[in-house]
Amino acid sequence: MNCLQVRDLLPELAVGVLSPEDQRAVEQHLQWCAGCRKEANELGSAAASFAFALAPAAVPTALGEHVVARIRHAAGGPGSRRRIHTAVASIIAAMVAVSGLGWGAVMAGRADRFAERARQATASKELALEQFQKVLAGAGLSSSEVPTGNTHLGQLAPTSGTRFGGGAVLQLVSPTTLDFTIVIVAGLDPNDAGALPYRVTLHNAASEVLRAGVITALDNNGGADVFHQFNLDLTGFTTVEVSNARGEMVLRGTVDQSAA
Amino acid sequence: MEGLLAGNEDAVRMLYTRYARPIFTLGLRLLGSAEAAEELTQDVFLAAWRKAERFDPSRGRLSTWLMTIAHNLAVDRLRRETGVTHPTLVLVDEVPEVIGVDEEESMIERDTALRALESLSDAEKRLLVRAYFGGLTAREIAETDGIPLGTVKTRLRTALIKVRRANQDKEPM
Repeated sequence: MNCLQVRDLLPELAVGVLSPEDQRAVEQHLQWCAGCRKEANELGSAAASFAFALAPAAVPTALGEHVVARIRHAAGGPGSRRRIHTAVASIIAAMVAVSGLGWGAVMAGRADRFAERARQATASKELALEQFQKVLAGAGLSSSEVPTGNTHLGQLAPTSGTRFGGGAVLQLVSPTTLDFTIVIVAGLDPNDAGALPYRVTLHNAASEVLRAGVITALDNNGGADVFHQFNLDLTGFTTVEVSNARGEMVLRGTVDQSAA
Repeated sequence: MEGLLAGNEDAVRMLYTRYARPIFTLGLRLLGSAEAAEELTQDVFLAAWRKAERFDPSRGRLSTWLMTIAHNLAVDRLRRETGVTHPTLVLVDEVPEVIGVDEEESMIERDTALRALESLSDAEKRLLVRAYFGGLTAREIAETDGIPLGTVKTRLRTALIKVRRANQDKEPM
C-alpha cells in the first residue's frame, strides 16, 4: 500500500470502520511512514473527541474496584509481561550459550551471569528450547502454539563507525501468537550519556522499518535488553539495527529466519 | 503513565477517576447495555495497562489514546456479536451529574468537543454519527444514500479536519 492509498483510508481508520484486512495494511504502513502517521493521529484525535461530546452517563460505583482488581490480577498473574520478559531473557541466555554464537566474548560482564543461568537451565539447545516453550506455556500460550521452528536467533556486531559492543536477538515469528523480538546488548559505553536513548529497529528487504524498542539506560557493563511484542507478522524483518540518540548506527545484525 | 506501566494501583485509580465516565458512556452508547459498558471499561483499562509502553505523548494525548482503544474494542465486540441493535444516538447536551474535581479534565474535553461539533453542518454531524457510532463504512453510507463512495470519503475527511481545527483552537492544557 502506498501513501496515496493509505491516506484515502485514513478517515475510515479514524472512525473505526475499516475492514480488519485494510486496517492491518494501513497500520503496517503507519509503522514506518511519519507523514501518514501524522495525518492518522490528527484524524484519530478528531474522531476521539467526538466520543467526549456524548452526554455523560452515571458510572456504577463498584466498577472502579473491578478495574483495579483486574489489573492487579494481570500484574501478578503468570501472564504478566514483565514476568515473561525476565523468564524469557534467562532462557534466551541459555539458548545462546549453547548455540555457538561466540556469546561469551560479546557479552563481556554479563557472560558469567548468563553462563551460570545457562548451567542451571540446560545442558543442551534442545533442553533450552523445551524450557522456552514451558515459559511461554506458563504465560498462557499453549506450547503447541510456539513451535521451536518459529524462534530465530541472530547476533549483533559493532558497525564500522564504532569499535565496541555487541548483542543478540531472538525473534518469535508465529502464525498463531503475537510475534515478538528480544534484543540483548552489552559493551556499549555507559559513560556516553549523549548516546541515550538507543533505538532498536527492524528492517525488511522493502526498506520498511519497525520500532522494536528504546533503551533509556545501560547497566555498568553497557548492557540492556528490550522486549517488544508486535501486532503484525515479523516475517522478513530480519535486519536489526541499534542506533544512538545522535542517529549513529552502533550495532547491526541479521536474524536467520530460515532456521531455529 | 509510568505508574500505570508498573501496575501502580494509585496510577490506575487516578486514570480511572479521570476517564472512566467518558469510556463507560461511549460503551453504553455503542453497545447498548450497562453490563456490556462495564465489561468494555474494564477491558479498556486492562488494554491500556498492557499497551502502556506503546503510548507516545509526542504522538497524541492520553485521552485520545484511551478513547481510541475504547472505540476499537467496542467496534470489535459489535462485529463479533452480529445482530446487535445499534442504539439511537442523540447528541443533546444534558445536565451532567455533580462531578468530582479529578473529573474536570474529561469535562473540559467534553466542552471542547461540543464546541468543535458546532463547527460542523447537520449533514456532517449525521455522517460522523453514522460512521463513528453506527459503525457504517463509507461504502455502506454511499450505497444507502445513493452517492459516490469518493464523495462520502471526502465529506468524512472534511468533517474530521474541521473538528481537528476547532480542537486546536480550544485545546485543553
